[in-house]
Amino acid sequence: MKHWLKPSFLLAIALLCTAELIMHIFFQEDFSGRFEYGYNPTSGFDEGSDGIVHLVPAGGRHFLRQSFTKTHSPATFRIMVIGDSVTRGPSLKNAYPWLIGEQLRENGIQAECFNLGVPGYGAHRKFIVLQKALDYMPDLIILQVNDSNEHDDDREFKRSQDFKSWNPKNWMMKSLLLRRIYEAETEHLFWKWLPTIIRDQKSVNDADAKVAASLSPEKRIEWSERVRKYTMQSIALSLSKNVPILLIVQAEYQKGNPKLDDHNLEDLIGHTKRKGVYLLSMKRLFEPLAFDKLFSSGHHLYPAGHKIIADAVVKMLRRDCLAKLKTTTH
Amino acid sequence: MSFVSYQYLLFLGIVFLLYWCLPFKGRIILLIAGSYLFYGSWDARFVALLLTSTTVDYFCGLAIAQERKNLRKVFFTACLPAAWLIGYTAIIQDGSAVAAWVIGASCLFPFLFGLLYHSLWRLHEVRQRRAFLVLSILTNLGVLAFFKYFKFFADNLVALFSLFGVNPGWTLPHIILPIAISFYTFQSICYSVDIYRNKVDPMKEFLPFAAYLSFFPQLVSGPIERPNHLLPQFQKAASWDVRNLHSGIALILIGLFKKVFVADNCALLANYAFALDTKLNAYWAILGVMAFAFQVYGDFSGYTDIARGSARLLGIQLSANFRFPYFASNPSDFWKRWHITLSTWFRDYVYIPLGGNHGTSLLTLRNLYITMLLAGLWHGASWTFVLWGAYHGTLLVLFHIMPSWQRVADTNNKHVWQQVPSIVFMWILTLIGWSFFRSNNLGQLWNWFAALGNWNASSSIYWVGPSLWWLLHVVPLLLFQLAQWKQSDESSVKEFHWIFRGLMYAVLFIMVTTSMVTDQEFIYFQF
Repeated sequence: MKHWLKPSFLLAIALLCTAELIMHIFFQEDFSGRFEYGYNPTSGFDEGSDGIVHLVPAGGRHFLRQSFTKTHSPATFRIMVIGDSVTRGPSLKNAYPWLIGEQLRENGIQAECFNLGVPGYGAHRKFIVLQKALDYMPDLIILQVNDSNEHDDDREFKRSQDFKSWNPKNWMMKSLLLRRIYEAETEHLFWKWLPTIIRDQKSVNDADAKVAASLSPEKRIEWSERVRKYTMQSIALSLSKNVPILLIVQAEYQKGNPKLDDHNLEDLIGHTKRKGVYLLSMKRLFEPLAFDKLFSSGHHLYPAGHKIIADAVVKMLRRDCLAKLKTTTH
Repeated sequence: MSFVSYQYLLFLGIVFLLYWCLPFKGRIILLIAGSYLFYGSWDARFVALLLTSTTVDYFCGLAIAQERKNLRKVFFTACLPAAWLIGYTAIIQDGSAVAAWVIGASCLFPFLFGLLYHSLWRLHEVRQRRAFLVLSILTNLGVLAFFKYFKFFADNLVALFSLFGVNPGWTLPHIILPIAISFYTFQSICYSVDIYRNKVDPMKEFLPFAAYLSFFPQLVSGPIERPNHLLPQFQKAASWDVRNLHSGIALILIGLFKKVFVADNCALLANYAFALDTKLNAYWAILGVMAFAFQVYGDFSGYTDIARGSARLLGIQLSANFRFPYFASNPSDFWKRWHITLSTWFRDYVYIPLGGNHGTSLLTLRNLYITMLLAGLWHGASWTFVLWGAYHGTLLVLFHIMPSWQRVADTNNKHVWQQVPSIVFMWILTLIGWSFFRSNNLGQLWNWFAALGNWNASSSIYWVGPSLWWLLHVVPLLLFQLAQWKQSDESSVKEFHWIFRGLMYAVLFIMVTTSMVTDQEFIYFQF
């Protein structure tokens, strides 16, 4: 037996075990839900003991880094915006959630608006984010509604289930040490040092599968139904907590097409309009304008596009006078 | 079943456990079954091709050594490929999986081979030995020519005709290149030639020979083993030595590090730089080729290390294929360090038969050049590979006719720092060669050279972050190699202190398990 155990192998195993133990003792909470691909309700919301909540890119949620207090005074009007990469925008300060907060404050309203957009999030994952966001006493929820990420939601859900399975390919990543280093490599080196075009090579098969699925009429019907279902659930949940909700229905721009396409989502969820539910259609907002200058790609907007949405939301808030908004003015 | 997969680790673990529980004969049968399963996991149809080569070379090898086998035994052994194909078709219940003409040809093969075998024994002894050698070589080269080069030559012939305005109107068949074909055919050829040269005795029994030719760790991408090195290891039972277990695991870990950490991460940059629609500038042309240099090296030497480590777990020693190739100081030195088993194969079975250096200087240079041209073509049926071979042939010729270069590049009695200029110069020459090797076609190759004149940084995507990415994945390998500078085996760690080794294993393990960026296939599988 003595010959079997070489000191160098033993040392390597001991080092790895010690590091793993340290991770379990000190850092377990830091990256919970990493391989739940956004299906973990709490990941990305880092709650400090000082009552400050930090939005961090973790657990399959690439939140933009922001901080807020867990509770807030009644004088502050808190808005939480939930969506995908369109909501996330080109940068924190050039995306419409930030601009909404800024404009409200310029108008003398004590407001704060947080961007909870995560690239690739579809209706299901947005609903899970909403569940957690409602814990932080928002006065208004803004939900970006679109069906362009349903394939991603589906795929990532399967991956989250697969990760829980017995398949040995996942065994290594169940180690907190390896998981943390993998996460650091991916998020701090892979995402930051390499241009998008190179990173995309990694997910080229995912991209192909998504294009193929989007060409299937059955899939599109399935996705629309899913968006409708989760949007209804989001509205119900939000209203059950007395939080009004504003739905921004996304529109898609296709080069050369004189009209924008919202995949009939406005018709699909339009009938949900009732007290506490507001609707803003990007299609109707942008079509009178030179919208080809506003889109950087099919769905994504230049800062000018975000500014227009922010203006429209602020106008709507002032016009429809959410009761709280009025009271907090001065 | 890739080496970089959990299936392979599981497969290797099972083979390892069974292997050491079985008696010698059982081990041989296990190795054959395991190797054919391993090979068949890519495309089970081509197992028939491997069986064909095995049959021909086994009987030809014996015949070259004047050992005649019963014609009935020859016939029934030659039935194995057909039996495999028919059995495969029946099991998967898909009649179209194997073309009818392929099954027909495999059924004809026992008759044809039996007839040839019987006829050649009627020749006079000297002619007879040569005839069996030619039969073995032609079978192997024929298989290689058909599967690997037929389309290339046919396409070029069509292009040549079209230059003269003639359209032959051929519909060329779609031929799938069987994996590993270039490797096992070369190993078969050297077996027959070495018997002919009386350097080695033929295998008397079929099963150990089949195990030798199909040995799974080195079947797909080498090392191309010589019969006098590998055959004896299949003729007597290896005894258990725990040191083989330790060094085998270490080799596999180092190989995985080279493949997963170095090669696959460098591949991200190289694949972008050499994509057909990429707009290159000088920064990206240089970064792309430097990334490819470490991709191809990490990929192939990583494969070799995993192969050697896997074999060592079974008590079998395979040859080293690399020895710090990017520390070569001249073209001749490079080929003593890069893909050593292939370069020595070409030396012994092409260069020397062509005359080697036993003629005038001009003839020696001609032989060198032809050898390198063929080595280039061996890598792939494409003009870029031929050019790569020609480029290295030219470098070797220039090195041989320029005594001043030989003097400058002579590393004897020089301090390591005095060797640096020669090493850097050779590294640049090697990089230029890799641009030939990696380009998808001649047009892209031209674009790569043209990009070297464009230093406008904004004409392509930013390159600083990707350069850091490259450094991050290359520097650990270079540090590892510098620590072993004086060793003959670049992947041996036994001379390190055990504390350093332990640290290194832990770090390598973390690097490997956390760097599965992409599921990249090994480059040399395509050859």
